[in-house]
This record gives sequence, C-alpha cells and structure tokens, in this order.
Amino acid sequence: MGPLIPNGVITGDWDFVIALLIGIAFGFILEASGFSSSRNIAGVFYGYNFVVLRVFFTAVIVAMTGLLFFDYFGWIELDKIFILPTYLTPMIVGSIIMGFGFLLGGFCPGTSYTAIAIGKLDGIVFTIGLFLGIFLFSETFPLFKDFYYSGFLGNVTLTDVTGIPAAWFAFAFTVIALASFWFTMIIEKHIRKKITEYKF
Amino acid sequence: MNRNYILLTILMLALATGTLFLKKTPNYNEIKPQKLLWEIIQPTRYVTTDQVAKMIINKDQTLELVDVRDTKSYEKFSLSGAINVPLDSIAATSNQDYFGLPGIKVVFYSNDDIAADEAWVLTRRLGYKDTYVMKGGLNCWIRTVIQPQQPSEDAPYTEFEKYHFRKGAQIYFTGANIEQGSAGKSKVSIRRKKKKAVAAGGC
Repeated sequence: MGPLIPNGVITGDWDFVIALLIGIAFGFILEASGFSSSRNIAGVFYGYNFVVLRVFFTAVIVAMTGLLFFDYFGWIELDKIFILPTYLTPMIVGSIIMGFGFLLGGFCPGTSYTAIAIGKLDGIVFTIGLFLGIFLFSETFPLFKDFYYSGFLGNVTLTDVTGIPAAWFAFAFTVIALASFWFTMIIEKHIRKKITEYKF
Repeated sequence: MNRNYILLTILMLALATGTLFLKKTPNYNEIKPQKLLWEIIQPTRYVTTDQVAKMIINKDQTLELVDVRDTKSYEKFSLSGAINVPLDSIAATSNQDYFGLPGIKVVFYSNDDIAADEAWVLTRRLGYKDTYVMKGGLNCWIRTVIQPQQPSEDAPYTEFEKYHFRKGAQIYFTGANIEQGSAGKSKVSIRRKKKKAVAAGGC
C-alpha cells in the first residue's frame, strides 16, 4: 500500500497537510517529553538527565523495527521511500557544529520552537540566534559551497554500503539503545546524588 | 527497578529479534490482472504511424521509440531516434532505465503489432505507465508513410488531408522528389462563346 504518495494512493498535494499534522504531533511529543526546557536537554552532556537520549533512541528503535515489520506485512515498500543523500565529511562537520550549538544553547532547532510556544525567554533568544546563523550561512554560502557538496555517496543506506541486512542493524541498534537506557539510569542516579541544589 | 521498564525492554528486544526472522517477500510491483485485461482491450494504447511520423518530424522530446526486433533487423532499418531493446531482453535490469521516465511516452514497434504488443504487456506488468504500441508496425509504416496511396476521387476530404501529410512525411523521411503538378503542361483550351445574333432594329 504505502508509501502513499509514490504509490498514487493520495496525490502529492497532500504534502503540506501531512507535514503540518506530523509537525504538530512532533511538537507535542517534544513538549510532553520536557524538551522545551534547555536544562533537560543540556543535562545529557553533564550526566544528570538523559531524557533526550531516551526519547530519541525510543523513537528510532520503534520506527526502525516498525518499518521492517510494515515492509514484511506489505503495508509499506521500503524500496520506495526517500533516503536523504549522504555527503560524508560535511555531515560529520555539521553534526559537530550542531552538537556544540546544542551544548551551548540548550536547544536544537525543533525544541527551541516548543520553548517559544510555552513562552520561554531563552527559547526566543536561541531562535533569534538561529535565524542570524541561517542568514550568515546563506550569505557566506559561496565560500563553503565546494565543501558543502563534497564526499557525496548518493542515497545510500548502511545495508547498501556494508551488505549486512537491515534487520541486523535494527537488532544491534535496539540492543545498544536498551543497554544505554539502563546504563544512563545508573549514571543519573550517581550524579544526582552529588548535586545538592537542582531544580528542573 | 520499575517493572514497566523491564517489561518494555523485553518486548522491544523480542520485536527486534523478530525482525531477524522476517523473510523478504519479493515485490514484483505487478498490476492487477483485471486492470491489465481492461487496459489491453483499450484502443488508446495504440498510436498510428501518422502520429509517430508527426512526432518525429516535430522533434518531439517526449517520444521514445523502442524497436523490439532483434539487433540485426534494427541495424538494417529503424526509425530515426529509435533505440533497440530486443523483446527477449525487455525485462532485463539493464534495460529498465529506458522505461517509466516521467513525461516520456514509450512507443514500441516491430515489423507488425505482435512483438510490440508483447513488449507492451510485459512492461505494463512491470508497472510502467505511458507505454504505447505503433499500430501496424513497420509494415504499416511503409504502406502509409513511405509509400502513401492516393485516395480515390470520391474519398472524403480528410483522406486527402491525410494523404498530403503522408506525402510530406515521405519527402521528409526518404528525401523523395517533390512531384511536379501536371497543371503546367496541360493546355488550357479556350472555348469562345458563340456570338449570339443580336436582334437588330426594333424600337
């Protein structure tokens, strides 16, 4: 049956409607998980709060195993879904920059909007910075252009590169994620004992 | 330890282990037999030789002519701009890039309809859209475009229009000489009216 648009079940005009619905659901989950608080988010770097890691890992492993089962039941054709093209080096550099931004600002782009939605001042300041960053990047883009498009590998998946079936990756990732849930719980307990004054 | 966490961990582990045993069912993307049968009886899947000739002359970029005969016949004679995909290798992976391009009309032809029709059914079953068959194949092409027959005198006007188009196409494809009309050679006989005797006198 799926994916709905490539298989002609619904037309491409539904793009924005679906994007809006997913956006609302995403924002709701972010806020409900406590991602509108920069302390919760930055906590992962200091070891007192691993909610970010847990929420994202949960989302990843549920979606991953879910898609594999959906594919098996014939509800979605995995060969037809869009895979983001890989530009290896720029992506590594980009994620390091993103990580620093995360650590310094206490938000990622998505969570800063949920923070604005509940009226947080640091969220507003972060978003102003975000747009300044976008503006600066756009203006100086010609300088990075060659680097930005370097290391192109195509629309590849780990299965394409290594030849190992997707199910093995899903299994390995699930084991790692579940292990990290329990491990981070221990770290949290340990660190929180040391923190004398701490409020979320 | 929270009991819910333990239960959820076990559930997730079981699901992830389950993915290891999923057998990948081959997905042929075939269209439903009823739909295929319905499409087979539709005349819309045919294009006439005139339409193909017009598209070639207009250098229509959306036309992709596919010669499904064997390579030998293709090398001997083929329509201009046609590519050769022999019928027996039409489902080969290396040939799949020719079909299913957005906005491109694939027109199959062979010496007659039969091989082209088979190619059409095969590609349609593979799920490709916008595929057509040149009605009558190359035999019809020769009859209509290369050697057009003059319609009889009492034929409707549209037949003459078609004939004139085919003559034009013949010149385009074969470089045949433009026929000189015989109008210049025939003598125009002038028939003079006999003078009528005018009544003289009178009033």
